[in-house]
Amino acid sequence: MDEIQGIFFEECAEGLAVAEQGLSAMRAGDLSSETIAGVFRAVHSIKGGAGAFGHAALTAFAHRFENVMDEVRAGRIPATPGVTDVMLSAFDILTDHVAAARGTAPLPQDAAVLAALENVLETKGVGVGGGATAASAPATPEAPQPEAEESDEDEFGFRPVGVALDIFDAAEEPVEPVEPDWIIDFAPSHAALANGGEPLLLVREVEALGGTIANVDLSALPPLRAMEPEQSYLRWTINVPASVEESTLTDCFDFVAPDSVVSIVRAESAAPVASVTATAELDPIREDLAEAAPEPSAPTLTLVPTASPSPSAVPPERAPEPAAQTIRVDLIKLDLLLNLVGELVIRNSILADRLTPADQQRVELPELARLTRQIQDNVMSLRAQPIRQAFSRVPRMLRDLSAETGKQVILETTGETTEVDKGVIEKIGDPLTHMIRNAIDHGVEPPADRIAKGKDAHGTIRLSAEQKGARIFVRVADDGRGIDRVRVRAKAIEKGIIQADAQLTDEEIDQLICAPGFSTAETISNISGRGVGMDVVRSNVEALGGRVEIASTPGEGTTFTMILPLTLAILDGMIVRLGGQRYVLPLANVIETVQPAPGQVKRTSPTNEVIDMRGQYLPVKRATDIFDLPGSNRSLEDSLVVIVESESAGHVGLIVDTIDDRREVVIKSLDQNLYPIRGLGGATILGDGSIALILDIEALVASNSFNRFTPKGIAA
Amino acid sequence: MSSLDHRTANKQADRKIVTFSLGHQTFGIDMHSLIEIREWEEPTPLPTVPSFIKGVTNLRGNVVPVIGLAERLGWEPSKIHARSCVLVVSIGEKQAGFLVDEVSDIVSIGDQEIQPAPDVEIGEPSVILGLVRVESRTMEARGDDTGQMILLLDLDGLSLTRHLELVA
Repeated sequence: MDEIQGIFFEECAEGLAVAEQGLSAMRAGDLSSETIAGVFRAVHSIKGGAGAFGHAALTAFAHRFENVMDEVRAGRIPATPGVTDVMLSAFDILTDHVAAARGTAPLPQDAAVLAALENVLETKGVGVGGGATAASAPATPEAPQPEAEESDEDEFGFRPVGVALDIFDAAEEPVEPVEPDWIIDFAPSHAALANGGEPLLLVREVEALGGTIANVDLSALPPLRAMEPEQSYLRWTINVPASVEESTLTDCFDFVAPDSVVSIVRAESAAPVASVTATAELDPIREDLAEAAPEPSAPTLTLVPTASPSPSAVPPERAPEPAAQTIRVDLIKLDLLLNLVGELVIRNSILADRLTPADQQRVELPELARLTRQIQDNVMSLRAQPIRQAFSRVPRMLRDLSAETGKQVILETTGETTEVDKGVIEKIGDPLTHMIRNAIDHGVEPPADRIAKGKDAHGTIRLSAEQKGARIFVRVADDGRGIDRVRVRAKAIEKGIIQADAQLTDEEIDQLICAPGFSTAETISNISGRGVGMDVVRSNVEALGGRVEIASTPGEGTTFTMILPLTLAILDGMIVRLGGQRYVLPLANVIETVQPAPGQVKRTSPTNEVIDMRGQYLPVKRATDIFDLPGSNRSLEDSLVVIVESESAGHVGLIVDTIDDRREVVIKSLDQNLYPIRGLGGATILGDGSIALILDIEALVASNSFNRFTPKGIAA
Repeated sequence: MSSLDHRTANKQADRKIVTFSLGHQTFGIDMHSLIEIREWEEPTPLPTVPSFIKGVTNLRGNVVPVIGLAERLGWEPSKIHARSCVLVVSIGEKQAGFLVDEVSDIVSIGDQEIQPAPDVEIGEPSVILGLVRVESRTMEARGDDTGQMILLLDLDGLSLTRHLELVA
């Protein structure tokens, strides 16, 4: 049951994301029926699931929310900005309710929002004239099911059986003079109930569109002792008037479990079916069901569609729905798979190392390597997710922050479909939160100030993601006041982060806000200004093998860019030797390597060197100096210079002793057992089992400023 | 021997302690935290870390830091010799290897035998959990009746990221 409940919460999260997207689109003026219906369905399925799992408070709230959405969807309440705002705040409370049901948050205070929803229902209903049904405006807010709603029937997958037939019995009068233009054949998959599907609700929804149940096929019902309470055995045939749009019907069946039978056809080909004769058998069955229901079911749920369904449930003449099938997989399993593939890659290279050169040429080895690589690529792609998941919590945060600070902010999001490794998405949430908070708290000015400066009263925050090569760029840009460098500098001196006479470029000053213990907030607000925010951003991002860039123009705004690796797992690297140790240089950074000719490397100061590359002078760094390693006593002519490319410093030469090899390495985070070390992107295990450290070129060649705030180790 | 009998009598209250030596001192850690004991092997050194972090080593596919425990506790750095070994322990969700001079024994003690350490430590109050006195069981020590003082370490206090967690 926990597992199914887990699936429910996952679906809630997805539903909430859909609802939020839809509501935001509505707020921005997109009032298309698909958008509104999308929100409705999301809220609706959360309600249904919540009812099934007995989350009364969530069900009750979602029910109210759904009522309003229903009216809006039906066009009886216009989706004015005012109404949409109420729905957005209702959405926020709904999110809290979901969290509360999950047990991760206390029950939210929803009275105010409920009253607002009620108000929308009442006033708009009257205004639009006769539309508001009395049923959807109950007087007692506690009652979760003012109508004969589904929450009680949902407790067991069974109940719908009886009720649906009741409805059928009651629905004698409309037995069609209407031309039954659509015939829907619907057989929920055996596992539909276990997956949180709600066949009854679907049938109801179709009925609400004017459909009438023509037949219920009970032939698949097994004898009682063989019956699984959490399986679905019924098959409905429903007639729907021709006036209903096909898309409306298909929408209804959007969320059915993947291997259910759904067919929606015109009636011409099939003769309308006469009403059922099952009533006689039905009554004993219903009694039996009532007895059987409380019995715990044997856990025979099949989540993966297999070829097992009995032929009577899925008759062979029906082609299964061609929609893309998906299964849910626990992330832990994916992680395990990824680790195993990583090990496989390492074993592969160990094997290659052990073989004689002649054996290495045999066809099997490259073939194995190619297969391994394909497996690896596929596993990686399994973990790729749209970055939207990380962005989805931003709108709400902005609303809260706007309310708290009185600053008005518009969010513009681009690139949310960019796909990133799931691990990256999980880990950028907190940095993103800090960056947004920072932008509102320190960047965007209050409306009055903005107007005085000739800007729009509302600020704009642009959130974007894009992929460039093997890196993902996530930007948070505000159009606020920009970084006050004079104040930042003064603060850094006061905090002892820099010397009073330090000569810093603008970029270096901007970077100071990421220094540990730095905060310019004059009064500590509860939004940001705890003095750790941007430091945490930087260390989190660096732990991912990424970095943070800051660009700011006074008076015009600040842009924070997180530059992240596409994947956390694999790196194409060049193995180099430095002072006897092996290091991995990410191949993505390497431009070329040269063996310096005498005189090709020249000093420009006692501590600085340049290399003459075809007439162009590039700065040269010694990794041994940067890391304070024992210098090798190799002569320069005996060493190699690797020209690397960096975002921040352009082309730079890095002096190494020798180059060993080029290979793919599996990145092992130092963070896992230690903490991130600036200048290192992680470590890897080489074919012989020894460890090589992976160099973070960006951090290494960036201005030496990082030496000033390295004390990352234990202070003692 | 009487206290040994006493210990076996209170078996349910016992906890198992792995004892090891650093210089002339004997330390102990809870055996639950111990993952394995390995021979000393030169780890891969890390740049810009405190000198007591000797580097990282490959432990079954994990990159695990190796800590010079003596140095970490403020004693003279250990010299590597034939019996030097690394105790691999888990601290919270992380793993670390501690370089020690020699692993001595596994003893069972009751919680009531742990005395609080007097406040004469190394500026980090939570590193030493307490002091325990056990009878020596080695041949050479059996003659005298002094017993041995074990400094029981609090591994959480030795977490390498404790300072980071405090900041965050």
